[in-house]
Amino acid sequence: MDALNVMEGASTMVHTPPSSTAPAVPVPALSYTDFSFSYAGATDRRALRDITWVVERGSYTLLCGDTGCGKTTLLTCAHPVLAPRGERSGMLRVLGRPFGEFCDEPDAVGHIAYVAQNPDAQIVCDSVWHEMAFGLENRGVPQDLMRRRIAETSHFFGIESWFHRSCSELSGGQKQIMNLASVLCLQPDLLLLDEPTAQLDPVAAQNFLHALFRVNRELGITVVVATHDPASMAPYATTVAQMGEKGIVTGVPDRSGVGRAEHIRSPRRHPAEGTGTEGDPLISISSMYFRFERKADWVARGIDVEVDRGEVHAIVGGNGCGKTTLLDVMAGVRKAQRGVVRNRARAQVLLPQDPQALLVCDTVAEELREWQGRCGYSEADLDAMVERFDLAGLLGQHPLDTSGGQQQKVALAKLLLTKPDLLLLDEPTKGFDAALRRLLVEVIDAERAKGTTVVLVTHDLAFVVAVADRVTMLFDGEVASTEPVKGFFEGNLFFRPTVADLSALGLT
Amino acid sequence: MSEEQHTGTDITHDSRSAFDLYHPAVPLVYFTIVIVLSMAAFQPVFCVLSLAGALIYGCYLRGWRAVVRSLRWSLPMVLIIALLNPFFSAFGTTQLFVLLGRTIYLESLVYGLCMGLMLTAMLQWFSNAAVVLTFEKILAIFGNVLPTIGLMLSMIMRFVPMLARRGREVEGVQQACTAIAPRSVRESTSLRVREASVLMGWSLEDSLRTADAMRARGWGGPNSRSVYQRYRFGSADLALTVSFALLGLVCAFLAWVACSQFAFYPTITPLIMWWGYVPYAGLLLLPLFIEFEEALRWMR
Repeated sequence: MDALNVMEGASTMVHTPPSSTAPAVPVPALSYTDFSFSYAGATDRRALRDITWVVERGSYTLLCGDTGCGKTTLLTCAHPVLAPRGERSGMLRVLGRPFGEFCDEPDAVGHIAYVAQNPDAQIVCDSVWHEMAFGLENRGVPQDLMRRRIAETSHFFGIESWFHRSCSELSGGQKQIMNLASVLCLQPDLLLLDEPTAQLDPVAAQNFLHALFRVNRELGITVVVATHDPASMAPYATTVAQMGEKGIVTGVPDRSGVGRAEHIRSPRRHPAEGTGTEGDPLISISSMYFRFERKADWVARGIDVEVDRGEVHAIVGGNGCGKTTLLDVMAGVRKAQRGVVRNRARAQVLLPQDPQALLVCDTVAEELREWQGRCGYSEADLDAMVERFDLAGLLGQHPLDTSGGQQQKVALAKLLLTKPDLLLLDEPTKGFDAALRRLLVEVIDAERAKGTTVVLVTHDLAFVVAVADRVTMLFDGEVASTEPVKGFFEGNLFFRPTVADLSALGLT
Repeated sequence: MSEEQHTGTDITHDSRSAFDLYHPAVPLVYFTIVIVLSMAAFQPVFCVLSLAGALIYGCYLRGWRAVVRSLRWSLPMVLIIALLNPFFSAFGTTQLFVLLGRTIYLESLVYGLCMGLMLTAMLQWFSNAAVVLTFEKILAIFGNVLPTIGLMLSMIMRFVPMLARRGREVEGVQQACTAIAPRSVRESTSLRVREASVLMGWSLEDSLRTADAMRARGWGGPNSRSVYQRYRFGSADLALTVSFALLGLVCAFLAWVACSQFAFYPTITPLIMWWGYVPYAGLLLLPLFIEFEEALRWMR
C-alpha cells in the first residue's frame, strides 16, 4: 500500500479530487452505476446493459469476458476521446468526476491513457524517440521538461539501447512496450489496456505484463486490462472483474493455473490414423539455407524437415528462430538460397499472421463467397461453414469492423471453403479466447479426418498438445528436434504448457 | 507476415561523418554553397575540380566501391551528352569530322563533355549530402521552424515503407494459396486488382486506428506544439558557417572572373595555370580537412 500513498502524495501534480470529497476516502478511478450504452445507429440493441462496477485507485484490475461481450466498449466509454458515439444512460464517474465534467477539463486526455491490441496501429512516427515525444509535443510541453520526462520513462522501461531505432525494426514486444512508455510519458492516473498482449508471443507477453506490474506497484498508476486470458495475468492482478450476462462480478484472481503442467496427456499418436503412406512425405526440405539479404545473417542454416501426408505438424521455437520463414519456404513464397524443397500439395492455403491480408470484400458474406466461382463450393458447404464458425451474426458486417479473433475466424472459414489438401497456419490461435481455441482444435481434427495435411507455426504449446501429431522445434536457424508430441514435452523444463493453458483446452 | 522480417534499408540513422559534431544547418549551408557553385561555374577547370572533390569526399563517406558503382551509369551519361551535343548545337571553328551529314566541331564536343561532368559532379554531391544530412537532421532543421511539417515527414517516413512491406505480404499470401491460383489471364488480372484492394482496405483501417491513437495522445489539442529535438547552434557552428560563406563568396567572385574571360565558342579560350582555382579546391576539400582533423584526434 506504500505505492498508493506515494501516488496520493503526488496527486497535486496530476489530478486533484473535488474538494467535497474527504481526502481520507480514496476516490475510485472508475465507477459505473447502472450504466448502459447503445451505439449510434443501433439503438435497438444495447451494447452494455446496467453495468455497475467500481475500479479502486491503485488497483490492477483484469476485465474478463468472452469475445464480443463488450469489454472494449466498456473501457472506451470512459475515455474522453475514444468514447464511441451512441446513447448512454446511468452514471459514470472517471477519477471522481462525472464523465461529462471530466471531458470538459482541458487536460482530460493527459489523465487517462489507452493502449490497444494491435501494436502497429498505434504507432504514429517513424522512430522510437519521436514516438515517445509525440504526446508531449502535442501538448506543447516545454523542451526541458519533455526531455526529462522522456529520459526517466525510457530509463524505467530500458528503452535507451533502442531509443534511436526506427519503429519498423522493433519486435512486436518492443513495439508494445514503446506504446506503453509513450503514453506513460504523459503521467496519467489511469491506464486502460485492451488485450495488450494478444498479438505477442508468450515471452514478450510476460515481459509486457511484468512492465505493467511495475507501473502499477512502483508508480501507483491504476491499471485496467481487458483480457480473455486472465490466467497469465493472475500473478500480477489485484482484482478480477468477470463480465457476463448478468453484469460484472468482481473477485480475487485465481492463481491455481500458474506454473508448468506436471503431466501432459496428448490425445495424439503418430502416425495419424487411417493415413500414413510411408516414405512419401507431402513436403520435404533438406539442408535449406535462407537469409533475407546477401549481407544479412542466416535465418535458416541447414534445416531438414519432412511433413507426412495427413499429419498435423507443429513448428515451435522462440522469436526470430525462423519459424515463419520456414513456413514461407514450404509455401513457396520465399525461395531458399540453398537446399532442396519439395512440396507435392495439390491445393494449399496459408493463413497469415495478419488475417487482414486475406480480407477484401465489404461484408463477411461476400468474403466467404469470393472464391466460390474459382473453387466451386456449394451453398450447402457455405452454410455449414457459417454454422461451424458461428458467423451468422457477422454476415452483414464489414470484415475489418469485426474484432481480431473474428477476422481470424472469417479468414480461416474462407480458406477452408476452398477444400485444400495442405493447410499452412501461422499463429492460428493469436487473439483467440479459450472457446475459440477449442473450436479450432475441433476444426483441425475434422480436417485431419478428411486427410488434409496441416502445418502450423505457433507459440501456443497447449494447442500443440491438443492437435499436433509431431512437433519440430527450431533453434538458431536449425532443427533442434522433430518428435511425436507425446515424447516431445516430457523432458522439457521451460518448453511446457502451463496448467491453465491445458485446462482451457480440456486437457487435464 | 513474420516477426523476423526486417527492412534492410535504414534511412534515418547510420551516418558517420565529422559533421555530426556540428549543428545540421552547417552541412546544409556547405552543400548548398557547393552545389550552387558547381552549377553556376560552367568552366572546364571548375567542373573538373568539383567532380574530383565530390569523388574524393564520396570515397571517404561512402567507400570507393559505392562511388564506382554510381559512376557505372553516370559515365555513359557523360559520353552520351558529349556526343549528342554536337548534333544539337553545331557551333565552333575546329572541324573534327562529318557524321551523318553533320559537321562535328571540337568546341561543341568539349561543351557537351563539360555539361556531362557538371551533371555527374552534382549527382555525386547530392549523394554525399544524403549521407551527411540524414533524415533526422533535416527533421531537426525544419521541425523547429514548422513542427507540423516535421511530424508529417516523420509519418510519411513510417507509412511508405510499411505500405511496401504490406504489399509484399499480401502478394505472398496470395501466391501461397495455390488453391486460388489463376487459371487464365483474366483471373490473374483480377488477382492483381484484388491485391491492391486488400492493401487499400488494410491501410484505411489502420489509418483510422492511428488517428484514434493520435487523438488519445492529445493531437489536435488547444496547445501549440513543441519539439523534442535539440540542436544548439554554438560558436563553433557559427565560425564554420561563416568561413564556409566567406570562402563561398570568394570562390563565387573568382568563378565569375574565370567564366567571364572564358568562352567555348567560337574557339575555346586557352586554359592557363591560375591561383584563382586554389580557393575553390580548398572549399571542395574542406570537409575532408575536418574529417582529417577528427581522425587525428583519435590517433593521439
